[in-house]
Amino acid sequence: MQYVADVTAGQDARAAIEIDRVSHVYAGAEGGVPALEDISMRVAPGRFVVIVGPSGCGKTSLLMMMAGLRDHSAGRIHVHGAAISKPDPDRVGVIFQEASLFPWLTTLDNIEFPLSLRGLSREERRRKSEPMLSLVGLSGFGARYPHELSGGMKQRVSIARGLVQDPPVLLMDEPFAALDEQTRMTMGHELLRIWSTTRKTVVFITHSLTEAVYLADEVYVMSPRPGRIIDHIEIDLPRPRTYEVMATEPFGRLRERIWQQIRRSQ
Amino acid sequence: MQRPDPKHVRWAILASLLVLWEVVPLTGLLPELFLPRLSKTVGVLWADLGIYGAALMVTLYEVVLATVIACGLGILFGASIGGIAVLRDLLLPVFSSLYAIPIVILYPIFTAWFGIGPQSKIMFAGIYGFFPVMLSTAAGIRTIDPQFLLAARSMGASPVQQITKVIIPASLPTVFTGLRLGGALAIIGVVVAEMLTASAGIGYLVTLNRTLLDSPRVFAGILCILVLSIAYDIASRQLERRMIVWQSVGKRQQTTAAQPAAAPVPAPSAA
Repeated sequence: MQYVADVTAGQDARAAIEIDRVSHVYAGAEGGVPALEDISMRVAPGRFVVIVGPSGCGKTSLLMMMAGLRDHSAGRIHVHGAAISKPDPDRVGVIFQEASLFPWLTTLDNIEFPLSLRGLSREERRRKSEPMLSLVGLSGFGARYPHELSGGMKQRVSIARGLVQDPPVLLMDEPFAALDEQTRMTMGHELLRIWSTTRKTVVFITHSLTEAVYLADEVYVMSPRPGRIIDHIEIDLPRPRTYEVMATEPFGRLRERIWQQIRRSQ
Repeated sequence: MQRPDPKHVRWAILASLLVLWEVVPLTGLLPELFLPRLSKTVGVLWADLGIYGAALMVTLYEVVLATVIACGLGILFGASIGGIAVLRDLLLPVFSSLYAIPIVILYPIFTAWFGIGPQSKIMFAGIYGFFPVMLSTAAGIRTIDPQFLLAARSMGASPVQQITKVIIPASLPTVFTGLRLGGALAIIGVVVAEMLTASAGIGYLVTLNRTLLDSPRVFAGILCILVLSIAYDIASRQLERRMIVWQSVGKRQQTTAAQPAAAPVPAPSAA
């Protein structure tokens, strides 16, 4: 089945992210390889949106396009009313699967990296980074180097770095995929806490259906390559969510619906 | 049983080698022509301090300039080859095979071009030390995790900032390994060149005294080069440790991490 987005053409200032009929074809023999096909979505400010889909469906490519890190062949992407053509850390923070912290910088210096690119003074940088460090629960670890931190702690630093410039939109590309199951659950819970205090618009990519339902306000399901959006599901579970919600019947039903969509598309 | 401190062991080995140097010729195990006593060697060195001092200055001057050439050209070529794919595909295999050539075979050409003075030693040793610097700089830049650059771009880093704030610090450890090796090869290159054809320098003194069968003076020259090499190694290690703080911190952490609780994960603070 084909999901048809109810997106009106043209940018909408009220939408945090507006993706309008985006397609992408990788250059190659015989006209290239289609990667994304006619993607449209509209994310309201402050929403937590999760994109799920099989490996290689192009969901990471889509996220990189929203971040201005990759070009697309057709269509338009707007963030808070303005087109995205190159990375704009004032509007969009990106958190990658690998924490991608710089090993030669301490935790605090890593968090301050985007600020140092702007030439902010040391005092100004500290004034902004210290609250981020405590927001992600790492007070006292500011002087540590990345290899002195656990995987979960690294992702916390990475989240702090994504938040330090206070962008309204946070894009997260399978940020917890490399973590073990328990850490992953804890980090999901932590992320919801951070999200509820900062009220960012979040677009979060994952393979895990449980993670998707647990975190999201709404879930987009993508098909295998070429990636299309085949379902858009409202997750109307009450917030704040606790781990117990995963054992409830509505949770199971939502998870099952996503799973059926993915299975049918293959 | 507690393991002895490796630092103490190293000093103990050095001390026992020096003692052996004194004792072995004294007992007649080796004739003094082959191995003159340490005390005799130092005595000769002391007596001819002016000659050896002047020779050491010549050698040092050649080593410093050769190192500058090796590091300067090596970083320049290495960065270009490591950073630009076309150059890398064209030149890296060529340079890699050139590295295998015993360059000393080319030394006669250097003397023909630059004379038997310091210039030929500087050029020869500079080229000799150039290869490891160039190859490791290229490797250091080529092996940078592309994720670092992607993250930096996402945070708004300009191309210049990507170089100064990501590429340079990320490649520094590998480059530094090459610089240390390059400097060491520059010392070797200078001394070998001095021993082959020269009119000054420690290498020249060693060859000269060897033909005169003056063993203590040969060993006095060897002692000078030993001290020079060890001093160079210690200095470059110190410099490396100071410049790449995060790596030495890592080593320290790894040794202390053997203790029970390595950095505990903080309990998620409840909202």
